[in-house]
Amino acid sequence: MSESSLLSINDLKTYFFTAEGVVKAVDRVHLEINKEEVLGLVGESGCGKSTLALSIMRLIRVPGKIVGGEIWFEGEDLLRKSEGKMRAIRGGKISMVFQNPTSSMNPVYTVGSQIAEAIKLHQDVQKRQIKEKVVEILHKVGIPDPSKRMKDYPHEYSGGMCQRAMTAMALSCNPKLLIADEPTTNLDVTIQAQILDLMRALRKDFGASILLIGHNLGVINELCDKVAVMYAGKVIEYCDITTIFKEPKHPYTQALLESIPRLDVAKERLRIIPGTVPRLINPPTGCRFHPRCEYAMAVCSEQEPTPVKIGRGHTVACFLYTSKG
Amino acid sequence: MAMGEPHMKSEDETEVYKPSMASRVYVVWRELKKNKLAIAGFSIVLFMVLIALLSPIIAPYHPRWQGTSGIPPSLEHPFGTDGQGRDMLSLVMHGARLSLYVGLVAVLIEICIGVTTGMIAGYFGGKIDEIFMRFTDLIMTLPTFMLLIVAVSMFEVRNINVIILIMGVFGWPFMARVVRSEFLSLRETTFVEAAVSMGASSWRIIVHHILPNTLSSVIVLATMDIPWYIFYEATLTFLGFGDPSSPSWGVLLQIGYYYLRSYWWIITFPGLALFFTSLGFNLFGDGLRDALDVRARGR
Repeated sequence: MSESSLLSINDLKTYFFTAEGVVKAVDRVHLEINKEEVLGLVGESGCGKSTLALSIMRLIRVPGKIVGGEIWFEGEDLLRKSEGKMRAIRGGKISMVFQNPTSSMNPVYTVGSQIAEAIKLHQDVQKRQIKEKVVEILHKVGIPDPSKRMKDYPHEYSGGMCQRAMTAMALSCNPKLLIADEPTTNLDVTIQAQILDLMRALRKDFGASILLIGHNLGVINELCDKVAVMYAGKVIEYCDITTIFKEPKHPYTQALLESIPRLDVAKERLRIIPGTVPRLINPPTGCRFHPRCEYAMAVCSEQEPTPVKIGRGHTVACFLYTSKG
Repeated sequence: MAMGEPHMKSEDETEVYKPSMASRVYVVWRELKKNKLAIAGFSIVLFMVLIALLSPIIAPYHPRWQGTSGIPPSLEHPFGTDGQGRDMLSLVMHGARLSLYVGLVAVLIEICIGVTTGMIAGYFGGKIDEIFMRFTDLIMTLPTFMLLIVAVSMFEVRNINVIILIMGVFGWPFMARVVRSEFLSLRETTFVEAAVSMGASSWRIIVHHILPNTLSSVIVLATMDIPWYIFYEATLTFLGFGDPSSPSWGVLLQIGYYYLRSYWWIITFPGLALFFTSLGFNLFGDGLRDALDVRARGR
């Protein structure tokens, strides 16, 4: 773990013990986020992105369980912390913005009082100052007339405003790491752009690192420094943002990029990746992508590829790049 | 809108700019107003509550006052007098005070035990849920009325508060079930997850985040349970297990029963009071449920 590293995930395994069998939602994942860095986490639905995010917060609930691994944050292993200490970290040093902004707020309290609650929980601030802080932070995320709108209930906010307010809440205690789980999925494009602008500004103003989860590569491209591609519970490729668009290595990443509609390339049809994400109760043997992979070799169904470094800060888990040697 | 009042806001505008908490109450009230039966129920309840509160002032006679016995309803005694010459109207008014007291306090006990049990079982789930709910089932399977009779007979002093306490202590299981089921579904919501992710403790989430969201169910159930307790107390008293020193409606019914052949009015008026009170609470509770239910709105 280097000096600049903020969060480092080692060999993390989060399994769900269901009646049908064990679902390996996150399986031996390695990931690293540096200070003031934005890491994008992409993958299809059900590939374990959200589970990974919730694992960092230790919010995995029964029947799920973090089975093994380490999550190092500021030099301490989060998985070894007591629940009480974890509570102080949640919302304080690491905070999270959920996918669905309108249902992330308690309908019976005003937006302002919910943000105030977060501040009260983590900071030693006097009553009068709390109100000022709420107004200030709502202003920062671009809520018009914050001293008045803070008295509104969540249902009186639009989806975009709710997302801003949730972001405001997440940032109210100056977290070191912000986990944003598909923060723009349910918003229309203009609001998406606003939220992205907001995040960019926040990174500059607050010096926070961001883990941005999404399946929209356009959004990821807008904001991130590095990208990790997840497939069926595993990180299969990890590199910086320019590399992934210029020279994606993993067949899945390549296919994923070719399935994005683009204006600058004339193409009759978009590429479709055949098949679906495998059920994680009974994943394919070897490389989990091999049944859908056009370059699949014999070794792919027999052994699991380990991530290998193929360039500066570029790792891939694929036999195309290891079996040559 | 009148021409001379250019600054007055139209109805729509005032609605939009209403302060939020008041607007919630206002919305419920507006919904309730649409339902004529609910308003009828609300009026009856309000009327009974006023009678109960003001009975020492507005009752024409003191409950212990005695005149000629067995006078049928007349101008001087609208509800007649009983076998001991007491004014029935005054007795029914004072009875309202006592019967409503019984209903309210018993429901408060029910809420205390039922809500606490339900929220702990529903939020924590698993083994805790199992233990709490099996205990609740146990209480539910007990034949409450027999138990009440036995329990009341065990106390030498027939005190109305003892009866209330016993009723409340055995009456909470349904409340617990309702609150538990609300907690079971609410704990899965995103806003609860978001609260956890902001570092809120379990207790804080239970009391500050989930409980306020269950309030409407609790209020409706409590409203419907009040007449149930009044009935229970009246039945107990009618059967002779009550507190004869407190002239609740049950006591009056019991007295009326003895005079049924000679003085019909003694049993009639307390009976009617009981009937209307129960009707009022039920209609009001029903209307309240519809008014509080956001999903049913706008149909």
